[in-house]
Amino acid sequence: MDPAIVDAASQVLLDPVVWTAILASALYGVFVGAVPGLTATMAMALLVPLTYWLPPLPALAAIVTMVACAIFAGDIPTILLRIPGTPASAAYADLGSGLASRGRADAALVTALIFSVAGGLFGAVVLILLGSQLAQVGTLFSPAEHFWLYVLGLTCAVVVSQGAPIKGASAVLLGLLVSTVGLSAVHAQSRFTFGNPELYQGIGFIPAMIGLFGVSEVFKNLLTMIPESDRASNQIPGGATPSPGHPLKEVPGAIRRLVRRPFSSLRSGSIGALIGMLPGAGADIASWVSLGIGRQSDLPHAESDDEGALDRLGTATTANSSALAGAWIPALVLGIPGDSVTAIVIGVLMMKDLTPGPEIFEKQATLVYGLYLIFILANLILLPVGLAAIKAGGLVLRVPKRILMPVILLFCVLGSFAINGSTFDIGVMLVFGLFGFVLERRAIPLGPVVLGIILGGPLEERLIQVLTAADGSAIAFVDRWPARVLVGLWILLLIVALIRPGRWLAGDSRQNRLR
Amino acid sequence: MIRFMDLRSRLPFLLLGLLVLVGCSEGERYPDRPMMLICPWSAGGGTDTVSRTVAALLEQELGVPVNVVNATGGSGVTGHTRGALAPADGYTLTMVTVELNMLHWRGLTNITPDDFRPLMLLNRDDAALFVRDDAPWQTLAELKDAVAAEPRALRASGTAQGGIWHVSLAGWLNDEGLDAGDILWIPINGAGPSLDALMSGGVEMVCCSLPEASALLESGRIRCLGVMSADRVQGFLDVPTFREEGSDWTMGGWRGLALPLGVPEDRAELLESAVAKVIQSESYLEFMENTGFNVSPAPPEAFRAIMDEFDRQMGVILTGDAFQSVRSTRYGPMIFPGILLGLLALVLLILAVRGGLRRSVEAPRIDRDGLVRMGVALAFVLGYVLLADRVGYVLTAMVLLLGMLCFLRVKWPVALAVALVCAPMTYQVFAVVLRVPLPWGWLGW
Repeated sequence: MDPAIVDAASQVLLDPVVWTAILASALYGVFVGAVPGLTATMAMALLVPLTYWLPPLPALAAIVTMVACAIFAGDIPTILLRIPGTPASAAYADLGSGLASRGRADAALVTALIFSVAGGLFGAVVLILLGSQLAQVGTLFSPAEHFWLYVLGLTCAVVVSQGAPIKGASAVLLGLLVSTVGLSAVHAQSRFTFGNPELYQGIGFIPAMIGLFGVSEVFKNLLTMIPESDRASNQIPGGATPSPGHPLKEVPGAIRRLVRRPFSSLRSGSIGALIGMLPGAGADIASWVSLGIGRQSDLPHAESDDEGALDRLGTATTANSSALAGAWIPALVLGIPGDSVTAIVIGVLMMKDLTPGPEIFEKQATLVYGLYLIFILANLILLPVGLAAIKAGGLVLRVPKRILMPVILLFCVLGSFAINGSTFDIGVMLVFGLFGFVLERRAIPLGPVVLGIILGGPLEERLIQVLTAADGSAIAFVDRWPARVLVGLWILLLIVALIRPGRWLAGDSRQNRLR
Repeated sequence: MIRFMDLRSRLPFLLLGLLVLVGCSEGERYPDRPMMLICPWSAGGGTDTVSRTVAALLEQELGVPVNVVNATGGSGVTGHTRGALAPADGYTLTMVTVELNMLHWRGLTNITPDDFRPLMLLNRDDAALFVRDDAPWQTLAELKDAVAAEPRALRASGTAQGGIWHVSLAGWLNDEGLDAGDILWIPINGAGPSLDALMSGGVEMVCCSLPEASALLESGRIRCLGVMSADRVQGFLDVPTFREEGSDWTMGGWRGLALPLGVPEDRAELLESAVAKVIQSESYLEFMENTGFNVSPAPPEAFRAIMDEFDRQMGVILTGDAFQSVRSTRYGPMIFPGILLGLLALVLLILAVRGGLRRSVEAPRIDRDGLVRMGVALAFVLGYVLLADRVGYVLTAMVLLLGMLCFLRVKWPVALAVALVCAPMTYQVFAVVLRVPLPWGWLGW
């Protein structure tokens, strides 16, 4: 065995500092992920001063564990309150909260946890075995390929969204339009700002997401709140009692679910790792695409019952957790960050005089092996920490709604403010709360709006970039083979979705009710 | 409702009591509460990394937390504007960047360097030109000849349209007697994604600073044709300067700390000496060396002179005819929203025809009580926005939470308990643990 591996193992496993870092950041990560508005990027940035005083391995351990736990913890408010804790869980907000309203909250949460752990471990294995080879794939992605990837992600959002896909399409378009507010990144000209300098920065998607999901949910609850029956009003309308909170009992079921469909788990794990690896695409797109592709192939039985819904939830959580390790591939190998978290990681590495790049595997072998080990440990530690968090989250459902709603509203205000300390964002949250409330009453899904806001900027940027670079020739979008592959995938997705044309316009009412 | 009214009539007294308890301890000591450092660029970038390093060290020096806030967006407009308009009490610092010299010339903001009191120039990174290792041009002269022979055939990137690296490249072309648009500028936000496009063949060259490209440069995947500085850059001594390659063109970016105008001079001077200590500290110098950032400190007067010089230069470039032609892109800002609006109109038309815009069957009816409850929730948020800045987070949150709970007919002891626990607890978590700069008020928290 390579002496560096032994060295790394002893450095990671025997060092109490590493263990402390892993444990502390696991707790921190769960908290940050569970509070809507606190993002992994922000938590990362807060860890940076701390990493000054830590040696490289504990610093990396803290970062990896924190992010892995945060992405899972984002599922907790998503499922229990239908308020996504991180954008990566917006894709299955309806799916998860639907399960919770039918009394399967614990099953949904434990499934999300087990599948997240599996996805995280799968991503780690991909990073370990294929990292340096896969980094080459990233270099195939020119602006044209990115353009198609975003189109693919948005189309998936339309295809999997609740109800009629045409409503999903209107939601995506609304989101994309919202993203054009502010100073255009490609043109450096302001649009739809009405001379308001605060609007120059555009509509932040975090406050918008908190508004769309969180505040609109508060409004909806306040509207239907029956003042007389305090406890009874606690349940989601039409739903059963939330399960009493024995998450451990659900573990065997979740594991059975995981092993029953090894292929679909492997598929969403690979989708996650691949998408995470591409700069500019991350866990959020990964969960949409995984849901979109999963829906098409598993459809006949997947939607029939809660089990099907749990399976689908599982594939999405696998993909977004697996994307985390994927994002490290270009960061380590090329020094190009896959997302904002790895961008900060590169800064931290450089602070320690470790320049990411192909040489890091030879020059810093111990560090790289240590990092691999940490990826595995972080996902294993997520298991007990996650179960504890689910148990604690279950308590939320026992708080009477009339107490819970004002407190949630306060958290929404804090979460919107936290991202860049601006009161304007609280206003954005409020406007989007009303907007989301209106959309929901028209049965227009909210998830695609969020994805539209996230992807609008990059999509426009790529569009203009490709057009500028080709001096206006539209052929530029399909004149490279990687672009053609993506276009092929996209057309395939459209064809499969169009096979059942009735659903496109009317929506299947049975599905509507079940999810 | 009656309880709620009761309580409300007592509230002023309660507040007054609390205020007396705490006393009007408006600090003689400065600084005695957390400070904020505004970074106009996003987390993970070069400016963010420098900001966080300085903040961490400044925190040790001053003994109070220094929180970095990424006020991003608008090519730097947002952060610089917020920094310039921040309260002049010495608790808000801004990491100003070269864009301060550019934005007002481009008509994006009214904020100019004169709206800041400079504190310390931290670094200057000069622009450099990179090509892939398999590119046919070995020297700058060869590249120049290729551009002259076939204008508009080559593509470059590094930042958004009109950003500092774009200006650097366009300025060089101008200086060489070529047209600023002879190399197509592909607007890509940030050096990282631009280098990515360089690797994938999306562009032929990237103009950005040396440290931003160091990983790819050291691994030999890209080559640097030259750096636009007067002398070779420490840490990158094998990279030739433009001057050595036969051009007199120099250009680059800078970063520095500044305060809004009107900060009491004794406070500004205290900060100045703290920053001076930080940038001479070993950890700072070690960090700057490891990351490859060029250390060029300059005290306020020199910093002011540098800003003024850049401002003059940028004025010439950005308002000149050569750059005007570059600024206008063929694909205007309304193309994308136009496409979207067209599609949306189509989709909404289909929906309207099919009756899909009616209220969905499952949505509950809105009754009067429900509307009032929604209105109260709205008032809760608006009340927070209006009051928090003046009264402070904890009091505002406590009072509003209590009011809303009572309105929802939660028994008042329970409501009081929830409000008393929630407000200080969330304060501890957000302001102390997570370093969110929550509004400061009468009580000092």
